[in-house]
Amino acid sequence: MDDYFAPDGSEAVASDKALHIENLVKCYPTGVEALRGVSIDIKPGEFFGLLGPNGAGKSTLIHCTTGLAQPTSGTIRVFGHDAIGDYAEARQAVGLAPQEVNLDWFLTAEETLDYHAGYFGMPKRERRERVKELLETFSLTAKRDERTRTLSGGMKRRLILARALMHRPPLLILDEPTAGVDIELRLELWHYVRRINQEGTTILLTTHYLEEAEQLCDRIAFIAEGQIAAQGSSDSLADSYGVANLEDAYLALVGRKELSRSRVEELAP
Amino acid sequence: MSGAGPASQSDSLRAPRSERLSMSAAQIRFMTLWRREVNRFMKIKKQTIGAPLLETFLYISVFGAALGSRIKELHGFEYVVFVIPGLIMMAWATNSFANNSSSILQQKFQGAIHDQLSSPASPLELLLAFSLGGFVRGLLVAALTFTVASFLVDLPVENILVLIPALFLVGFFFSQLGVLIGVRAEQFDDVAIAQTFVLTPLIFLGGVFYSAALLPEPFQTLTKFDPVYYMIGLVRYGFLGYSESSVGLSLLFLTAATVVLTALNLRLFSKGYRLRS
Repeated sequence: MDDYFAPDGSEAVASDKALHIENLVKCYPTGVEALRGVSIDIKPGEFFGLLGPNGAGKSTLIHCTTGLAQPTSGTIRVFGHDAIGDYAEARQAVGLAPQEVNLDWFLTAEETLDYHAGYFGMPKRERRERVKELLETFSLTAKRDERTRTLSGGMKRRLILARALMHRPPLLILDEPTAGVDIELRLELWHYVRRINQEGTTILLTTHYLEEAEQLCDRIAFIAEGQIAAQGSSDSLADSYGVANLEDAYLALVGRKELSRSRVEELAP
Repeated sequence: MSGAGPASQSDSLRAPRSERLSMSAAQIRFMTLWRREVNRFMKIKKQTIGAPLLETFLYISVFGAALGSRIKELHGFEYVVFVIPGLIMMAWATNSFANNSSSILQQKFQGAIHDQLSSPASPLELLLAFSLGGFVRGLLVAALTFTVASFLVDLPVENILVLIPALFLVGFFFSQLGVLIGVRAEQFDDVAIAQTFVLTPLIFLGGVFYSAALLPEPFQTLTKFDPVYYMIGLVRYGFLGYSESSVGLSLLFLTAATVVLTALNLRLFSKGYRLRS
């Protein structure tokens, strides 16, 4: 983690867990219980997938980790920093590429990146270099002075990922990063996130694409109705459900085994 | 994508430690949060600076030139001179309010505010940065109004030691009010309603365009329940040396109201009220 941007020269707390979540409960004021005692541990350098149907609690878990939602009870630690008690240190260590495109219409692509790093305390010279590097990496240099609302859908997705990486977070959270993107961009993003994972960045990915999870993740957790139903490698999850692959394990999780492709093939005339 | 990962080149990109220490991370963070707010209104300055200036000068023309020719004098001052201090205060107040309420609501609406909320910024840093955006816009419009008005009429400044704190307090009070309404608002109507049905009547009925002493009862007494009446009184005293209310008490009241409102906002930011789910 030698590249971790630690403002004022402070160092990341040495921790054997990049993300430690214990008994996390989140009840919204409307009475909805989005998380019901979730516990997961992600090791430094791991590529971790979180799979589950819509409304299972994936985004709530991410929002609790990044300070966008307030946990009702439970513990969240990011590299040893408590997400509530030491929120500044915890948030400094996280980069979030959210599910929804939440770019500021008033800002240009360059300002979007520059301001983000400023919010994380990065000095001007370093920001300038990092902006240049990431605009280049994500093929956005020609669009640097364009306001974000004029960018194409794919460019917006790339800019969101670049923004999450600006402050060099040791933990990167990708909330459905490839939803609605074309095949080329999906593969480009896979290539890129795999590379930064190999370079040491821990990644938490949520996705609805099982192939994506299988390709990228070391470990996967299934979440349903606010609880972790199972976790392990793709193969061990299939084993634990007594099925042949991750997709069938997922279908077993959501109670829709009848949709299994093997079954559909069997039924075909 | 050529794939320059965060680890590559990082050492060469890091500024020397001595340079990084020249401004602390918290200072960089606060300056950036504030810069974003100023940048927003400067990018649409026709709407955020130009329009309010035009509006103020329309008031000066209508009330100064048209009505002024009939009213002549109020409490020994030329009518337009009597009105301008109130207009300067109104410009600062309405621009501070409008800027902060719109900026926060727009960012909530786009979800862009999540970028600041998921940063290490403290509730106090966030509150002050959002507040100061509108404060600076109000200051700009008020200063421009004052400068141009000074060319048009002979505008005295009798008590600068009352005028400056009074204007700053009024600006900061309405900045806080804008933040409060912006945070509470869930749709654009909420801001418009607050502005049209609460703010504008309070300002207009507070005596920007007239002296409350001219009003018949019960309106003269009712005016005294309008907090803006005392703000206008303070600013008018700062410029003209004339006031219908106690300067000391008004300053004390305004300071207390600003402190209470700021404390309330800080509490809301700390609790994440309507910002963090």
